[in-house]
Amino acid sequence: MSCITRSLHLPVIAALLLACPGTASAHAIIVTSQPASGATIDKDAVAIRLRFNSRIDHARSRLKLRAPDGAEQALIPAADAPADEIDAEARALRPGAWHLQWQVLSVDGHITRGDIPFNVR
Amino acid sequence: MALFLDIFGYLSVVLRGLTLLAQSFTIGGLAFQLLLLRPLQAELSAAAIIVGKRGQRLLRLSAFGWFAIVLAALAVNMAALTGTLELSLGEAAGADFARSGFAVAACALGIAWLARTGHWGRARAIMLVALVGLALAMQLNLTHAASRLDVRWPLLAADFLHMLGAGIWIGGLPYFLLALNGCRSEDDQRRIGRRYSLMSMASVAAIVLGGTIMAMAYLGSFAAIYGTAYGVMTSAKVAMLLMLLALGAGNFLAVERLRRRDPAAPLLRMKRFVEVELGIGLTVLLTAGSLTSLPPGIDLSQDRLSWSEIVERATPQWPRLSSPSVDQLTISQLQAKIDAADAQRVTAPQAYVPGEGMILPRSAADIAWSEYNHHWAGIFVVLIGVLALIERFSWGRWARHWPLLFLVMAAFLFFRADEMAWPLGPIGFWASWRDPEVAQHRLFVVLIILFGLFEWRVRLRGQQAGRAALVFPLTVAAGGALLLTHSHAIANIKDQLLIEMSHTPLALCGITAGWARWLELRLDGRISRAAAWVWPVAFVMVGLILLDYREA
Repeated sequence: MSCITRSLHLPVIAALLLACPGTASAHAIIVTSQPASGATIDKDAVAIRLRFNSRIDHARSRLKLRAPDGAEQALIPAADAPADEIDAEARALRPGAWHLQWQVLSVDGHITRGDIPFNVR
Repeated sequence: MALFLDIFGYLSVVLRGLTLLAQSFTIGGLAFQLLLLRPLQAELSAAAIIVGKRGQRLLRLSAFGWFAIVLAALAVNMAALTGTLELSLGEAAGADFARSGFAVAACALGIAWLARTGHWGRARAIMLVALVGLALAMQLNLTHAASRLDVRWPLLAADFLHMLGAGIWIGGLPYFLLALNGCRSEDDQRRIGRRYSLMSMASVAAIVLGGTIMAMAYLGSFAAIYGTAYGVMTSAKVAMLLMLLALGAGNFLAVERLRRRDPAAPLLRMKRFVEVELGIGLTVLLTAGSLTSLPPGIDLSQDRLSWSEIVERATPQWPRLSSPSVDQLTISQLQAKIDAADAQRVTAPQAYVPGEGMILPRSAADIAWSEYNHHWAGIFVVLIGVLALIERFSWGRWARHWPLLFLVMAAFLFFRADEMAWPLGPIGFWASWRDPEVAQHRLFVVLIILFGLFEWRVRLRGQQAGRAALVFPLTVAAGGALLLTHSHAIANIKDQLLIEMSHTPLALCGITAGWARWLELRLDGRISRAAAWVWPVAFVMVGLILLDYREA
């Protein structure tokens, strides 16, 4: 193989080495949510389940709860959630107006955020 | 970081549009070299060698541009990710989108490196094709097609066809123009024209096939075409595709006449049509960048616009020619209507992109103020169009001073655009410059004044104006393109969508006006005369749409 031909292969090999991503996703918007936006809950614990219209990157997505007094607490997403869902458990919710704040990354790099207000009675 | 996040949504859309431009010009350049110049090499004159080298230089430049833009887009996305999630740079770089992006950038750099000027051996040609193929395959990872939960392969194939077709046809246009201008012999032009025509037809078939499959999958119903932002933007793309096809059909007929060795074949017309095709093609690609930032219409089932809501908003009403004063802000009837609409709003889970901005509650006075501004701007634009039409008649020479209306419009904007700043509001003239939006408006005012004075001088100088006359059509067409290149509220907020419903036809009329004026200036004869009527009419249309603009 001549030197020139060998040099021509370099960019192809470099590109091939980088070209091994898994599945990708587009803009993520919520299809269904639990709790629903504006819902009122009678219990002090709730199973959070947000389903999106596409696959999301769980490792680079976050869930946060904002309490009636403004205090914020990060939730730990469940590791075994389906590709299009983020699930978590919220406990010890005192009565008042709460906000579930979410941010997800679809694998194509689109970041989407949202806020789901709900009340605890 | 806060300022960066404020512009993140818009920046992403612009970078996506620019990526598609550079990608298409790279694909088009390579296709032009390998599918056109190379097979015809033995039949073309020596001038084709120079054209080939110019094409290779443009191809390298496009590939370098592609590389740089993809890296810039990656940097922006990774900065947003690290800034909002407190991730390390390494964690952000490990995301799938980042790995795909790096692969595309590496391919683009490889193409720029390999596409040197001069003869390409077989191995080099094969590797260039492989790199383009690989880059396109990686690019697919950044599209809606890869993200679906259902069967993805038909959509991936459709997207691949769509991007490849757009690359060969639209991306090939600057190279075709180079060839038409560089190869003066009729034999060369006939051969190049015929071959490019065949490539374009195959590309159009790929674009239409891929586009149809995607439209069916991503829209899913007729109601999503007019009821969602995705549908509205897709319709704008289809409208521009039809414009391109009309111009392409004109060129096809010209090539056929060349093939029959007709001495009266309209070569000049073909070149001018290609210029316009290129301009509209760029706009289509920028629009596609905007479209890819939206979730598919089929996924938005709530808060869609109904046909009756669109008809109600579009039904002409008497323009609002009086304005509320700054400190008197009550129009109770309208306010009641807004409150009722707000109360009915479906509680779709809200979603937004960082920097998309919070949608502030609007008062009736805000709406009245905005509508008043739009309606008066509409009156100015209608007057400009009508005066430009009158100028066409032998008795209407006096109307050629119409660009001075831009100065009046600039004065109006200066007074009305920022109600809280001097002279209407409490904030002083110099103090108001600290607000970036006010500074931006003032810059626009200066640009409109310069633009008006410039075009007025062109009107006074007539035929002697030369290339200066082209500034007006290019600016108008660029304005139309900018209107289509914007970020969207990704949740389907009805009010924003209704406003977008009027901005999309505005953009299409702007594009029509700009390129019609271009043809008037760049051509002679029948088409030039027809175009001279088209653009003022398009201006009048813009004015009428502005006059019918409503926000509630």
